[in-house]
Amino acid sequence: MKATKRYGMVIDLTKCIGCHSCELSCKLENKVPLSVWRMWVKEGIKGHYPNVTKVYLPLLCNHCDNPTCVTVCPVKASIKREDGIVIVDPHRCIGCRYCMAACPYGMRHINPLIGIVQKCDFCLHRVSEGEKPACVLSCPNGAMIFGDLNDRFSEISKFIATHRVTVIKEDTGNIPFCLLYTS
Amino acid sequence: MDVTLLYNVPMQETFGVSIAIYFYLTGLSAGSFILSSLRYVFGFEKFKPLAKPGVVLAAVLLVMAPLALLIHSGHPMRAWHLFVFINPTSPLSWGSFLLTIYPIVCIIYAYFMFKENNKMAKILGIIGIPSAIAVHGYTGFVLAVAKARAVWATPIMPLLFLVSAMISGIALMMIVCAIQGYFFTKDRKINSELLFTLGNMLIWIIIFDLFLVLCDMVTHYMGHKEGIEATIHMTTGFFGFTFLIIEVFIGKIIPMIVFAVPRFRKNWVYVLTAIVIMIGIFVMRYNVVVGGEHIPLV
Repeated sequence: MKATKRYGMVIDLTKCIGCHSCELSCKLENKVPLSVWRMWVKEGIKGHYPNVTKVYLPLLCNHCDNPTCVTVCPVKASIKREDGIVIVDPHRCIGCRYCMAACPYGMRHINPLIGIVQKCDFCLHRVSEGEKPACVLSCPNGAMIFGDLNDRFSEISKFIATHRVTVIKEDTGNIPFCLLYTS
Repeated sequence: MDVTLLYNVPMQETFGVSIAIYFYLTGLSAGSFILSSLRYVFGFEKFKPLAKPGVVLAAVLLVMAPLALLIHSGHPMRAWHLFVFINPTSPLSWGSFLLTIYPIVCIIYAYFMFKENNKMAKILGIIGIPSAIAVHGYTGFVLAVAKARAVWATPIMPLLFLVSAMISGIALMMIVCAIQGYFFTKDRKINSELLFTLGNMLIWIIIFDLFLVLCDMVTHYMGHKEGIEATIHMTTGFFGFTFLIIEVFIGKIIPMIVFAVPRFRKNWVYVLTAIVIMIGIFVMRYNVVVGGEHIPLV
């Protein structure tokens, strides 16, 4: 077991019912202003007429291992912490929005009230006290699993050991750490 | 993917029109600087009337350009962070230094030019041409390095930007040439020979630019999924009208034909076409910046 932590998340799409409660709890917890979202649930219809299914995909910052936003930030306001969480330094950000343009997942937003870029930080204020992020806590089906990937006895490591997980846009080379379990 | 989207969060505008204006202004500045250096560095006596207005415009436009950045930025008062916290992997970080050095070079070059010190003007011009290329070329890197968007993340983006900068710079110089001849000479006569020479230069640069645009579109269309989506978006989709009709047809093909046909060799036709070209290049910047980020990512 390595000394450092590596936080990550698994979203079990077979359990997601599309209730949008993660989206709401994120907005409440982080006081995200109107018209912007730190995470959201994407809905879609798959297939053609007799065989139609509705699909849901909760999207949040992937906290990549090789994040484009950190590469392109001109003032080093976007930082990847040692535990893998990518954060924005609110006192250093100049609001140039280059990270928003460069993120292949479009997970960043500029706060219209204070003019700096903000993003999902896995609810750092909760995680640093040993609690789970708000979205994970609010999920009624337990579809979201959050934890330390370097600890092999954590819930998330056990899940990955027994299930095949995938990621969105693997070809960008960003190595995202929000893993999806489809079926 | 056969998933029909039902509900999606709209993407926030990232770069928008103000960055398109910024790219346009730096392009005009770099183009007019290179034209002004034709006389003092390369020794073409024909372009002497353009040397002084060219360098003055280059300096003025480049002082104006960062204002668009400040308006766009969420925290303009924190602009000094760019010079203190440097990230060598970020093109914006290179740009903050290029945007400082280039106007200074321009102003020193203009000083020696107005003092008629040809030797020093040549040396400053030799320093100035690479910095003019860099100050506009880095804006191409800004888009090319942001790998999220297929329209932007193409290796020829810096080259495409430089070529369109040359087009808009030459068109600006044609208008300057006409204004200079009509308002600032005693016999109110436009230097038609110079105007037609600039038109001839433009034909070949426009052909090169169209070739680059074709390369970009074809490789995207034959490429991966996002590239195909981007090509469809830019040709038959939402930006089809502004890209194909305004940018390529009105802004490039028609001026090319006008300059190539000897019948249209009239001063007013050339000046009018130059204005159309400048509008066309602005639409090109708009298409690349706003059209590129218009495609939803996930």
